[in-house]
Amino acid sequence: MTEKPKVGVYVCHCGINISATVDVETVADFALKLPNVEVARTYSYMCSDPGQALIKNDIKEHGLNRVIVASCSPRMHEPTFRKAIQEAGINPYYLEMANIREHCSWVHEDREEATAKSKKLVAAAVAKVRLLEALESKEVDAEPAALVIGAGIAGIQAALDIADAGFKVYLVEKTPSVGGRMAQLDKTFPTLDCSACILTPKMVDCASHPNIELLSYSEVEEIGGFIGNFEVKVRKKARYVDFDKCTGCGDCAAACRVKDRFPSEFDMGMGKRSAIYLPFPQAVPAKYTIDPESCLFLTKGKCGKGPKCEEVCQAGAINFEQQDEIVEFKVGAVIVATGFDPFDASRKPEYGYSDYPNVITGMEMERLVSASGPTGGKVKVFNGEEEIEPKEVAFIKCVGSRDASVGNEYCSRVCCMYVAKQAHLLRDKLPDANIRVYYMDVRAFGKGFEEFYDRVRRENVRYIRGNPSEIFKRGKKLVVKVEDTLTATPLEDEVDLVVLGVGLEPRADMRQTMDLLRLSQSPDRFFLEAHPKLRPVDTATDGVFLAGCCQGPKDIPDTVAQAKGAASSAMIPLARGKVMISAQVATVDESTCRGCGFCVNICPYTAIELVTVNRFGHEVEVARVNEALCKGCGSCSAGCLSDSIQPKSFRDRQILPQIAALGVVR
Amino acid sequence: MDLEQLRKTAAEVVSREDVKYLIGWKKGTYGYRVAPVFVEDAAGAAELFFSPLCTANLTTYLTMAEKLPLPRGQEADKRKVALMVKGCDSRAVVQLLVEKGIHRDQVVVIGCPCPGMVDPALLAEKYKETEKPVDLKWDGDQFLLICDGEELAIPRDEVLAEKCRLCRYPNPVISDILLGDPVEKWEVAEDSGVAELDTLDINERWSYWQEQFSKCIRCYSCRNVCPLCYCQDCILDRLNPTWVNRAVNFSENTAFNISRAFHLAGRCIECGECERVCPANIPLGKLNRKMAQEVREKYGFEPGIDPDAEPFQASFKPDDPEDFIL
Amino acid sequence: MSDSFEPNIVAFLCNWCSYAGADLAGTSRVHYPANIQVIRVMCSGRVNPLYVMNALQQGADGVLVSGCHPGDCHYMEGNFFARRRLGMLKDLMEYVGVDPRRFHMSWVSASEGHKWKEVVEKTVEDAREAGPFEGFRRRRIDW
Repeated sequence: MTEKPKVGVYVCHCGINISATVDVETVADFALKLPNVEVARTYSYMCSDPGQALIKNDIKEHGLNRVIVASCSPRMHEPTFRKAIQEAGINPYYLEMANIREHCSWVHEDREEATAKSKKLVAAAVAKVRLLEALESKEVDAEPAALVIGAGIAGIQAALDIADAGFKVYLVEKTPSVGGRMAQLDKTFPTLDCSACILTPKMVDCASHPNIELLSYSEVEEIGGFIGNFEVKVRKKARYVDFDKCTGCGDCAAACRVKDRFPSEFDMGMGKRSAIYLPFPQAVPAKYTIDPESCLFLTKGKCGKGPKCEEVCQAGAINFEQQDEIVEFKVGAVIVATGFDPFDASRKPEYGYSDYPNVITGMEMERLVSASGPTGGKVKVFNGEEEIEPKEVAFIKCVGSRDASVGNEYCSRVCCMYVAKQAHLLRDKLPDANIRVYYMDVRAFGKGFEEFYDRVRRENVRYIRGNPSEIFKRGKKLVVKVEDTLTATPLEDEVDLVVLGVGLEPRADMRQTMDLLRLSQSPDRFFLEAHPKLRPVDTATDGVFLAGCCQGPKDIPDTVAQAKGAASSAMIPLARGKVMISAQVATVDESTCRGCGFCVNICPYTAIELVTVNRFGHEVEVARVNEALCKGCGSCSAGCLSDSIQPKSFRDRQILPQIAALGVVR
Repeated sequence: MDLEQLRKTAAEVVSREDVKYLIGWKKGTYGYRVAPVFVEDAAGAAELFFSPLCTANLTTYLTMAEKLPLPRGQEADKRKVALMVKGCDSRAVVQLLVEKGIHRDQVVVIGCPCPGMVDPALLAEKYKETEKPVDLKWDGDQFLLICDGEELAIPRDEVLAEKCRLCRYPNPVISDILLGDPVEKWEVAEDSGVAELDTLDINERWSYWQEQFSKCIRCYSCRNVCPLCYCQDCILDRLNPTWVNRAVNFSENTAFNISRAFHLAGRCIECGECERVCPANIPLGKLNRKMAQEVREKYGFEPGIDPDAEPFQASFKPDDPEDFIL
Repeated sequence: MSDSFEPNIVAFLCNWCSYAGADLAGTSRVHYPANIQVIRVMCSGRVNPLYVMNALQQGADGVLVSGCHPGDCHYMEGNFFARRRLGMLKDLMEYVGVDPRRFHMSWVSASEGHKWKEVVEKTVEDAREAGPFEGFRRRRIDW
C-alpha cells in the first residue's frame, strides 16, 4: 500500500551564509503551500545536532515520511541528513536537498532574485521527493587484500603498513627493482641521511614480508569490479632470467657482448649498463633482467656463437624462452603510488641543457655526487674540451615549475630544499668552489628546513635573486645571463657547471593508470583527490586511494605520511570485511522492456545482460541488472527507447516533475 | 521479376514445415490498391504479385503481431515467417536484427530487387482510378499502365515516388532467396526537400514546421506503420511519467513528432511509409530523412546495412563531433 | 524583446564534475546570473535528450547540459553518449526551427569554477537574445 507523502521542508540559515542573501522565512512560508508539505521550518544550522533533532522530532510528531533540506550542496551533507532521518525511523532515501548555498546565496547578489530562485529549487525538490522510493543498501563481503601500484617509498610504506596489520598485499612495480626515485637520491634534506641507507631496509622488508607478494617488473593491465571486490589482472613481464635460479652474482653482465653500451636509466643516462643488468647494486629483488630492446639475441636472433650470459651463468638461470605471465587476483582496495617524472629540461632550450654536457638537472646531480653513481661520487664535468673539477658552480631554481610557458604553474615544493642540499654536498666535495644559487623565492617551510637553509648560506653558498634568461658558451666557460634583482645589476657569471633545479611533473604514462581506475586529473595534471582539504588520499572512486607524488609534488616525510594515511583508509573495508553497495542502482521494468540490448551495449561496467523470461507463455528476452556491478550512472536509461531501465532515485518520473516545477516563473 | 517464379517459390516456402506463413503483396479491392496478404498455402501463393504499386513496407508485420497470452500448457508457435522485401524494406529487417526485435532464424527473407515504386497519389492525380482492373508494369525508363487491353506509357519521372528518387539501395541488403536479377542502381537525386529547408533561416523554418505540425491529429498512423516503432508501451502514450500529454493540441503534437523523430535518429531506414500514410500530409520524410542525412554525414553511419553493427544510439566514437560543446 | 525579459534556464549537471565545479564557483564566491536552476543527475549520460525538449515545453527559455571532459567521466563513458545524443538533438531542434541559442552543452570539471560562471553567462545571454520561448510551449489552463 503506498502511503501519502508527508513532506517536511527545512530551510537553513547556515549562520548568515544563506540568510544574508536569501529570505529564508519567505522560502519556508512558500514551501508550506506546496502539495503534500506538512511542516516547513527554518533554522540557523540544520546540520548541527539541534538542527537534526528538529527534523527527527517533526518526523515523530507529525508522521513525516519525506524530508527536504534546503541548505548547502548535497555533496556536502547528503550523508549527514540521510543518517539523521534513518535514525528517526524513515528510509534514508526519502531525502532530497535543495542547494541554496553554493548554487544560490553564494553566487547571487540580488536578494529578490536569490529568494525567488530558492523557492523554485525547493519546489523542484518537493516535486521529486514525493515520488522517491524506499531503497535498501546491500552489503557484500570484502576481499581482505590490497593492491599497491608502484613500489617507490610511498608504495613500499603503504604495503608494509597494510601487511603488518595482517592483510595480504600485492605490490606491483613496473621496473625490475623497487625503490623508485628515492633510491636514486644521494643524501636527503634536511638531515643529510643517506637515502639508500634508510630506504634499503624497507625495500628488503617489503620483498620478504610474509604478507606481501612482490610483483616486480610487472604492470597492471586491467582492474574491474568495485570496492571490496576488485578484479585485477597483472602482466609479469619476462626477464628472460629464471627468478628462482638467479643468484645475482653479476657474471652475466660482465660477460655480455654489449657490456656497458647502453645508458643506465637509474643513473639518468649518465652511466652505462649491459643488455643484461641489475638497475643498481642494492636492487631488490637482486635478480638480473635482460632488456629485450638492447639484447643482441632478442633483437637480432643471434649473439655471436651463442649468448655469453648463458655461457657464464653457473646457475643456469638464463632462459630466452621465457614468456610474459598473466596473474589474476581479487583485492578489496587499491592504492595508487606511481610517483612522478622529473621535468625534461630540454623544454627550456634557453638553458642549453641539450647543448652543453656541463648543464645538468638536479636528478643527474644526485647521481653525480652519489658514491654508487657513474663517477663514484667524484664531481667532474666535461666542459667541451676536457674533464675538469668545477671551480664555479651555478644552481638555477624553478626550472619547469611556476612557469606558465611550459604549462606548469604550480610550485614543485622540493626544489628549494634539494638545491640547498646539493649546494651543501658540493661545498663538502669542492671546499674552494664558488657556489651560487639563482632563485626567485626560497621556500624552506618544513621541519628543520629553515635551519638547514641558514646553515648552507653560512657555508658560503651565495644566493642571488634573479631568474637567468640564458646560458651560452664562451670559450671553456658557460655564461649565465641574469639580473641580480636585489641590487638591480645585470650579470654575466662565468661558470663550469650549471645545475638546473628541475621540478616534478606527472608521469608521462599517467593516462594508462587513469584509464585503469577512472582517475581524474587536477588542473596541475597530478591525480585528483576526492576533496583537496578533507580527503587528500581518497579518489572519487570508492576503495581507490592515492599516495605520494602521483597526487602532487611532495618530499619524503610528507610522502610517507600520506602513504600511511592511504594504507589506513584502505584498511577500513578490509578490516570490516564488508562493504555497502549503493542502493541507487538501475532496475528494469521487465513488462515494457523490448530486449533490444541498447543498455547492454551502453553499460561501461557490463552490469546488464539479456535474460530469457516467460511472458504469458512466450519466451522473450529482457534486460536484467547485476546490482553489485551497477554504479547508478543512468547512461543506460537515457538510451532506452521504451524507458524500461531506470536508475532508482533518478527515474524519469522523478526528474520530469523537477523540470515542470522549474518551468514555472515564481 | 517473373511472377510465375514468384508464386512457385512462395508455394515452396509456405509448404516447408518450419514456416508459419509468408507475407507478401496481392492486388487490392480495386484500381491501384495493393493489400498485404498472409499466405499459408499454395492456393494463397497464387495471389501474390509484385508491381510498381507495392509500396507498402511489409516488415512492420514482423513485430506488429501482439504476443497474446497463451493458455496454460500451450506452446508458442515458433515457426519462421517468410517475408517479401524490397531494397528499403530489407534495411528494416537488418535494423530489427541489430535491435534484436527479431532473430535471424525466425525469418525467411525473400528479396525483391526493386526498379522503383510509384506514388499512388501522384498516379491517381494524373490517371484517375476506375473500377476496372489495372496492371502497372516496369518498362525501362517508363511505366506501362494496362487497362482494358490498352497500354499507356507514363514517363518514370512523372510518377516515381519521392523516396525512390532518393533510393540508394534498390537491391535487398539481406535475403535468403532472391527473386529476379539485381537492378542497376540509378543516379540518386539530391534531397531537395531537405535542402530547401536547410537554406531557410531559423524563423522561416519554424514557420514551416509550425504549419505542418498544426495539421497533426495524433492518429498515430506514422507510428503504427513504421517497422521500427514496435514498443508495446510507447513512452509517448504513458502517463507515468507523462512525457507528452494525450491532449491533441499544437504543443503536444509538436512534442510528439519531435520525440518520434529523435527516437528514430540513426534507426530510420527511410522507407517513406510514415509520410505515405499520414492523413494530414505532413512531410515526415523531410524530418526523418534529415536526421538520417546528419547521421550519415556527421557520424559516418547508415542503419540497416550491417546486421552486426552497433546500434547508433547505443555507441559512440572517440571523435564524435563536439564543436557545439562549450 | 523588452529589456526586462529574464530568461528561465534549466540546467542538468553531472554530480562528479560539473555539479562539483558549480559548487566550487559557490565556495569561491564567483557571481553569475540567477536565471539558472540546476537539476542534479549522476552523469551527463543520464540526460535523456527529450528532457531538453520537455524543459522548453514546460517553461524554460534555455537549457544547459554539463558534464565531465571526455576521458574523465566518473562512469567512464557516460559523457561520450551524452555528446552523441545531444549533438543529434541539437541538429534536430535546429532543423525544426528552435533557436540553437536555447540549448547549450558544456564540459566543466570539478576544478573549473570560473569556467562554470562563463558557461552560465553565455547560456543566459544567448537565451536572452533569443527571447521568450513561444514555439511549442505548453499552455497551462488554470480553471
